[in-house]
Amino acid sequence: MTDTNDDKLMAAAGRLATEVAPERDLWPGIAEAINTPRRRRWTPMLAQAAAIVLLIGASSAVTYVTVKGQQQPVMQVSPELLFEQTAFGGRYNLGPGFQDARAGLAAQLDVELAKLSPESRAEVEENLKLVNQAIFDINQALAEEPDNTLLQAKLLMAYREELSVLRRVSGLTRNVMMRNDI
Amino acid sequence: MAALLTAKCSDYSRDMVITARDTVAGEAGWIEQAQRSDRQAFESLYRMHVDKVYGLCLRMTGNVSEAEDCTQDAFIQAWNKIGMFRGDSAFATWLHRIAVNTVLGRFRSNKREQDRIQAVSDTETNSFVADDTGELRDLSDAINRLPSGARHVFLLHAVYGYSHDETGSMLGIATGTSKAQYHRARRLLCQQLDDHGYEP
Repeated sequence: MTDTNDDKLMAAAGRLATEVAPERDLWPGIAEAINTPRRRRWTPMLAQAAAIVLLIGASSAVTYVTVKGQQQPVMQVSPELLFEQTAFGGRYNLGPGFQDARAGLAAQLDVELAKLSPESRAEVEENLKLVNQAIFDINQALAEEPDNTLLQAKLLMAYREELSVLRRVSGLTRNVMMRNDI
Repeated sequence: MAALLTAKCSDYSRDMVITARDTVAGEAGWIEQAQRSDRQAFESLYRMHVDKVYGLCLRMTGNVSEAEDCTQDAFIQAWNKIGMFRGDSAFATWLHRIAVNTVLGRFRSNKREQDRIQAVSDTETNSFVADDTGELRDLSDAINRLPSGARHVFLLHAVYGYSHDETGSMLGIATGTSKAQYHRARRLLCQQLDDHGYEP
């Protein structure tokens, strides 16, 4: 094709129809879609993570109610209570401040637990096991989906919950000691 | 008689200006209302722009049912994103961008689906853009036979008049790539049309 024909070709391209009316009215389908409230994708994995966090929250509340008002410390230590490593899906690490607080509280845990009654201590241990199991499960899920932001958030929440339980145990036993001292 | 004609022409011209102003004002108002979740205003925007969006989707997919789906998806996307429209470009251009993304997204999402679209498209040759007549129909068919990369660039640049910068931005490719694909498209079109003895 010559340059002239090439130019004509380009001119012809510019004459092609740019606006075309659809053969049917497409609005009803659009209207239906925009009138329907958007549903969030709810996968079994997310449902599981949400259920774990819900369970942690509920059990922590039970712990709080049980341990609250505890007056008589009991000298018994649970040596098997271990903490999950802070892998955060194998790709992230928790902040140094968070780790320091967690390590400090974990070191004090046995001493603090020894001041609680067997029932309360068992309750606390059970809750911490639940939290640690949740951390383990979410970490495993994150290993498969490292970029899942919801799972990352759930993991962070689980770590916070763990820290919260540890602080609560520490605070409550400190109150007990203060009352006993008086 | 001349005075009457002048008056009529003047009236006609004034009406045109008023209509154009009303359209622009109407569009701006509808956008503002749609940004406040007014579905009726959004329907007005749809009515105003559906032919532009559908035309582009039809050219890019080469298939009526895919073009219809893409058009619907594009307007649903536009509804979801209309709060982000700041008027940096014309609303039609903004819609075109969304439509291009929608079509490309469908192409990328499933290779099998893409093959299916192409297969359906092949069976619908010569029938997909009824608005193209005579020799333009041949050109339209030749464009539809181009490889997708070259076809998309050619459509946006030569048919829709977007610059290579805009075309590259819409398709997610570099400006240089857009230029290269455009020249490739021209060469392939010339070959195809020469083979068919096409005289533009």
